[in-house]
Formats: sequence, structure tokens, C-alpha cells
Amino acid sequence: MARDRLFFLSLLPLASLTVAAFLAIAALFVYESLPAFLHEGVELIAGTRWSPSTSPSEAFYGLLPAIVGTAVTSCLALAIAVPLSLGAALFVNEYLPHRLRGAVSTLIDAAAGMPTVVYGLWGLYVLAPLMQSVVAEPLHRYLGFVPLFSCRPVSGYSLLTAGVLLAIMITPYTFAAIYEAYRSLPTSVREAAYSIGATRAQVCSILLPAIRPAILSAALLGLGRAASETVAVTMVVGNAPTLTSCLLSPGVTITSLIATQFGEASLYPYMTSALYAAGLVLLAIGLGLSTYGLVALSRWRRWVASYV
Amino acid sequence: MSRRRALDALAAIAMGAALALCLAPFLAVVASTVARGAEAIARVGLPSFLTSRPPAPGEGWGGIGPALAGTVVLTTLTTLIGLPVALATAILAVEFPRSIVARAVRALTKAMMEVPTVLVSMVVYTLVVVPMGTASALAGAIALAMVMTPYAATYIEMHLESVPPKYREAGFAIGMSRAGVALRVCAGIASRGIAVGIAMGIARALGETAPLLFTAGGSHYAYPTSILQPVDSLTLLIYDFATSPYPNLVQVAWGAALVLVATYLAMFAAIRVLVKEVRV
Amino acid sequence: MGVARLVASFMGASAALLIATLVICSYAAPSTTVVLQGAGATFPEPQLLLWIRMFMETHPTVVISYRGVGSGAGQSMFFAHTIDFCGSDPPLTHEQWAKHRGEVMQIPYLLGAVVVIYNVPGLHGRLNLSGRVLALIYSGKILYWDDPRIQKLNPGAKLPHRRIVVVYRADASGTQYIFTLFLHKAAPDVWPWSLVSKAPKYPVMGSGRAVGGEGNPGVAQIVTSTPYSIGFVEWGYALEKHLRVAAIENACGRFVLPSVESIEAAAREAVKHLPKDPRDDFSTDLQLIVYSRSCSAYPIASWTHLVLWTRYPEPKARALASFLTWIAIDGYRHLVPGYAPMPLEGRELLLKAVRILEGESHG
Repeated sequence: MARDRLFFLSLLPLASLTVAAFLAIAALFVYESLPAFLHEGVELIAGTRWSPSTSPSEAFYGLLPAIVGTAVTSCLALAIAVPLSLGAALFVNEYLPHRLRGAVSTLIDAAAGMPTVVYGLWGLYVLAPLMQSVVAEPLHRYLGFVPLFSCRPVSGYSLLTAGVLLAIMITPYTFAAIYEAYRSLPTSVREAAYSIGATRAQVCSILLPAIRPAILSAALLGLGRAASETVAVTMVVGNAPTLTSCLLSPGVTITSLIATQFGEASLYPYMTSALYAAGLVLLAIGLGLSTYGLVALSRWRRWVASYV
Repeated sequence: MSRRRALDALAAIAMGAALALCLAPFLAVVASTVARGAEAIARVGLPSFLTSRPPAPGEGWGGIGPALAGTVVLTTLTTLIGLPVALATAILAVEFPRSIVARAVRALTKAMMEVPTVLVSMVVYTLVVVPMGTASALAGAIALAMVMTPYAATYIEMHLESVPPKYREAGFAIGMSRAGVALRVCAGIASRGIAVGIAMGIARALGETAPLLFTAGGSHYAYPTSILQPVDSLTLLIYDFATSPYPNLVQVAWGAALVLVATYLAMFAAIRVLVKEVRV
Repeated sequence: MGVARLVASFMGASAALLIATLVICSYAAPSTTVVLQGAGATFPEPQLLLWIRMFMETHPTVVISYRGVGSGAGQSMFFAHTIDFCGSDPPLTHEQWAKHRGEVMQIPYLLGAVVVIYNVPGLHGRLNLSGRVLALIYSGKILYWDDPRIQKLNPGAKLPHRRIVVVYRADASGTQYIFTLFLHKAAPDVWPWSLVSKAPKYPVMGSGRAVGGEGNPGVAQIVTSTPYSIGFVEWGYALEKHLRVAAIENACGRFVLPSVESIEAAAREAVKHLPKDPRDDFSTDLQLIVYSRSCSAYPIASWTHLVLWTRYPEPKARALASFLTWIAIDGYRHLVPGYAPMPLEGRELLLKAVRILEGESHG
């Protein structure tokens, strides 16, 4: 109908702004990172040296420490957040009285939306000193022979602290995803389990495999979120652009590299471009993870739907 | 039997501990912010803290006036830019689900949600700040809108879709156009849901830092007087002052964090109340 | 409620709030306001902010802002005309200056110093170091605290036979430039010109005894928590954090601690050789103040610059001129710990710039 068509066309300019924004981002990142790729080639991704210089021949920007830093902190965050939120979700569902359930999930929702800079502030002044004295130093003293803990913890600002802070920040998200998935399981399964005399713990272990895909997708979404978090990480990671295998030493992530260097970058040839390349890597990681996560989630939803 | 029971208890304790560990950090963050922030605010009194300029590094006390005003400017401007876009995007996606454009809009809106916010800041810096020649409230708001819009659009879309089809059919039956059905019937029924979506977007814009890093760029000491000039924000002030070596600025950062957290929690509570009414 | 009304109320409320905020803020800052925007080096930021705050109290119609974004970023913003003035630790290079010759002014206006901090448990009293010894330490050629070359500078001190942990700045910074320039001037044979840089590759870096810290906080943090370490930070930072600071041998052979007097002494000698007109080329002026020939000078002193245009539209020119005048006359009496005032002879440059601003804008 003509009227409908008019309605469609009238929505189009505004609605297509989002599309335009996304395409602009993708195009700009590819375009802006080209000079650095052409200048350094694979070394841009695989190089470990970050040495800004005003002379183009001496300038070199290796992104590997940042990429590794992002991978390490995000995976560490995930390794903490997923088991915790899984346990918490099961506990809320199976053990907590009905009235408390709502309160707890509201509280966790509130935690999810808290301004990240507040987490950063807390991480800087409360968590980092605590990590230094309670976790990092004992780890180094007793497990110093493990390469991960081999370096002397000089300050609380480290990859480890960044990972823990990220874990704290993504837990609300992974919790919510797992909790929702668990709640959406058909009640028939649970009732059947109880009817044969299973304990609550056994019910949990029976139901776990059913939400395995949801756990996977929660993990992927959490990973994407951890990798893209910027200010809180920048405040606690220590920002030392060196490649290290030790969790107790300061490091750098892609986002903290951008946050700390982008302002100065225009002074140095290729540096802006190198930072755009770093952003491109992050963009690719984020989109890849979330696409995979969403696909996994929708597959699982269909599976649940077919079950009922 | 007793072994089974012991195992059950053990599992319960472990899971309970996991829950405690999930909740504890959030409560600790709020507690620290309240304790340390209140101290900073008490030094000058709340009205003065909210309106006066911050102290110079190293000496004296002060407030967060320019940053607070900047946050108001940024958040309202973001709403003005982002709200129409979010609404149009959501309606298009719901009303014309089969058109290619709508499908692209829908997919890319989801993709936008996953774009790290610091990258948005870089893009707006290159496409807006550099050509305009200055960081500005407008650039900051554009960056915030790029972060907030997909979020609000997705939420609004969800609520529009949950409108039962019978209302839609009834609308068509009495000869209404698609526009009329979409805007008057569906949006009307889902209006509380839409309000929630918008409010969530605003709450989100309020607390973002990374999109503003290279775009808003205002001085912590100058009040905003125009949207084309740089402005400060509460989040930028916290980020900067927290990392400064001056104890008095760090204190102000905690005070600003308390203001930010209180505002956020108030909005969150309001949204919860709205959501409850939506469900009923 | 109809969706149109809903949207209208959100949009209306936002617009009203936006306008109200802007109006109230413009009212709080009277409408004749001149806005001067500055950005650049982070080193002078605390001092500039104090000055700006004090200046604005007596000049309510002027609003000045300054953001510490780094000298480099400040310069590019300045030349893109996105800000009115720039703070820069290094002067403009000769090429930059030549390109804008006659249009641009530079004024070294505020003094600071790079100090050597250390953490040697059991060592009381003061520690003397020389540029040569520091160069050897940062080249990885002096390994132990009780090395005879350190002992010789500190007769009677009980130096431990422990390895030195060398802490360097991991990020590019003006502080490193000043420090390495000092090493080069004090011991050119150990520290060649190629190692003078904002982001040098310290020879000791590969040895496994060196640790990089981000910014002043990173370096200070590592030195305070690592026994037997040595590092360098801005003086103000060391004061703020109560760090132990070494006395450094100056060009005259005396060991001098950083102080307002010893830093001013370095500048007083250097000012004699500065250009007399802010429109001239200052590109080598750091060479003058670092390792100054004065016998009472602290050797790792430096100054930071304001970069301005010679011409501004009114009322900006007048506002800027009054700010510079205020700094020259009142400002130097109010210093944040860690800075030293420009000696009287050097303040002429500020006043000369004021005359240029006034003359050029009227003519």
C-alpha cells in the first residue's frame, strides 16, 4: 500500500543512521589501519616492541603485548566469573526462598549497570592494594616457581588485578544469562528429578547438562564484554607495554593502550594508524565472539522450545 | 544416606559461597563509595559540592559543579539525538520485519551493541572532532548516542514485539493504516516498556566514560555554556582525578563517584518500579 | 499514554533541562565571558590550574581552561587551531618554528626538575650520584650498589653488595628526554646522543634487572616497593609522595639537591643565553638549562613552555595578555610544591609577549 510505503520511507532516514554508524566504524577502522599494516606488515600484530618515534624509520608499534594482555585478562576474568555465577545461579534457583530470589537478581542487575569508572576507582584504591598484600605476594612466595607467578609483584597494578576486576564486572552478566537459561528449563524435568527422590544438589547436576549451551553463550558474551572494557582496566592494569608471561607484573590491554596513547598519537607517524589497527583487532574479536554467542544461544532456545 | 546428605550440604555451601562472592564486590564498591564520598561532600556541604569548582591540585577543597553540569548537558543532548533514532529503528524492525533494509538494521543494531565503546570514541574523534576543530558537547553526545541507541532500540523492539497480535489485527480491521497501528495501537500499549527502554538508555549514557575520552574533552574547571564547546563529565572527572597524585583531587573523585552512584541507583530503582507495572 | 506524548515528554524534558543548564551556567559565568582554551603538557598542569583558578577569581569575565593531554597532542591541537594556547615541555623544533615564523611565540615560564629516587634499605644520610655513574647504571655497566665508582662519591657510606634494580619510564615522556639529555651532557662517552630521546632504549633494558613503570606514579610505585632500586620522576611527584631523593653532581663538581633555589640558579645562568624575543627560535633552549654551568645549580632542571600566536581576535588577545601579566606579577608568588619560578630576567619574555599581543591586535 502506498501509505505503508510512505511510513516505511519516513522511518528510513533515522533508522538507517545506526546502519550508517556501523558501516562508518568498520570502514574507518580498515582505512585508518592500512598505513600501519603496509608499514610493518605482520610485525604489527606479531611484534612485541612499542617504541614511538618522530622519525618514521625508527618508529615501531608491535601490538602483541596488548593482544596477549587482552586475552589473558579476559580469560582470567572468565575463569573466575563463570564458575561463580553458575554456582550462584543454581543456589538462587534451588535453595533460596522465593521472596529473596527477586531481591538477589535485582541486586545483581544493579551491579551490571553500575558506571564502570566507579569500579575502576574502587579497583585503584581498594582492590589493587588488597590484591597486592593478600594475593600477589603470597602467590609469589609460595608458587614463585610457576612461571605465571615468577616475577616479583612490585605493585597491585597488574594483569592479575585487571583480570579479577573484570571478573567482578562481568559476573552480573554471566549470572543473568545462566540464571535466565536455568529458569527457562521445562519444569517437568525438575519435577521428575525430585519425584525419584533426588537431593537438591543432584537435581542441579541433572539439570546442568541441559543448560550447557547457555553457559557457553554466557561465557562468550562475558568474554566480549571483558575484552572491550576500557576505563576500569586502564586504571588497574599498570599500562606497561611489554610482553610478559607473569600475571603479577603490570601489562597492557588493547583498550588501555588506546585509552592511554590515542591522545598523544598524532605526534608520531604511524602511531594513530597502529592504534586503529589495534581497534580493528578488538572489533573483530568482539563481533566474532558475540555472533558466535548469539548463534549458540538461539540454537539452544530452539532446542528448549522443541523440548516443551 | 548420610553421605548423600553431607554431599548435598557441601554443594549447598559451595554454591552459597559462590553467590556471596558474586554479591560481595558490588556491595563493597557501594560501601567504599558511600564512606569515602560522603567525607568529601561533607567537607564543603552538599549544595556547594554540587555547584562549585574543584580545588586546585594539592590544596583546598571544592566541588564538581562544571562536571555535573556537563553530565546534564551530555545526557540530555544524547537523549535528543538518540531517542528518535532508537524509536524509528525499533518500529522499522518490528513493522517491516521482512524487508531487507529492516533486517540489515536489526542485525547491525545488534552488532553495534558489541562495538567496544572506546572505538566509538576514536571514530567520533576522527569524523566529528577533527573536522569541527574542537572537542565539544555535541561530539560527546554523538558518541554517547551511538552507544545508547542500539541498546534502547533493542529494548523498545522487544516490548513492541510483545504486543499481542489481536490488537494489531483489530486496528487493521477498523481500517487504520500501518503507521496508525504502529504508532497509536502498538506503541501505545507498549508505552511503558518504551519508557523503560529510553530510561535504561539514559541511565547507560550517564555512566559511560570511554566514549567521552577523545570527544568531550572539557576542563574540569569551566562550566559549559554552549554545546559546541568542550564539556566535562562526572565520569571523566573521576577517571582523571582518581589517577592524579593529589589527595584532595582523589577525594573529590570519590565524592563525584558517590553522586554518580546515587543518581544511577535512583534511576535503576525508578526503572524497576516501571518494569513491575509493565508486567502487571 | 500515547507514544507521541511519551516521546514528546522525554524530548521536551531533555531540551528544557539542557537549555536550563546552559543558561544557568552562562549566568554563573557572566555573558561578557571570554573563553580561552589551552591544552598540552601534563607537567605544568597542577601549577597552571592553580593559577587559572586564582586568576579567574579576580577576573570574573574570563574563563580559562587547561587540559593535560601531553605536549605532542597539545601542539597538534594548537596548530589545528582547536585551542588558543598550548603548554609544551619541549620547545618547537626548528622546522616547526620556521614554518610559523613570526606568527608564533614561545615562552619558557615555569621551572621544574627531574629527580633521582632510590630505595636502599639501611642506607641513611644522603646519597650522592653523578651523571657519569647514572649513565653507567642505566647502561648496565654498574651492577652493584657498592661499586667503587658509587662508593667514591659517598665516602663513609655503608653501601650494600646488592644488585641495582633499574627502573625506567615505559612511556614516552618529556621527563625521559630531560633525564637522558642530562646523561649525555654529563658523560657523552658513556651516553651517546642517539640515546637522548623521549622514549629511549636504555641499554640496561635487556639485562633482566630493569623494570619499566608507566608515568611518574608507575616508577615511584616500583621504586618504593622494590628494595635496592633506583629510578627518576618529576620533583613535584617525589615531594608529594615523600620519596628519598639523591644529590646530583653538577657541572661544577658540587653535589646538589633539588630545591627552588638550586633550580632557579640553573635557570638564571641559562636565561642569559635565551633569545630576547618570544618570536625567536627556542628549539635548543633545553640544552641551556640542563646541566647548567652555574655552580649552585641543580643539574637536571628544566623549564616548560607556553606556545601562543602573536595575533588573536579581540577580546581574546586582551584576556590572554592580562593572564600573562598576572602570571609575571602575581602568579610566581603562588607556586605548587615541585615548581620553581622563572628568575626575574626570564620574566621579561612574558611581558614582551604581552606587548606583542597588545600591539599586534591594535595595529
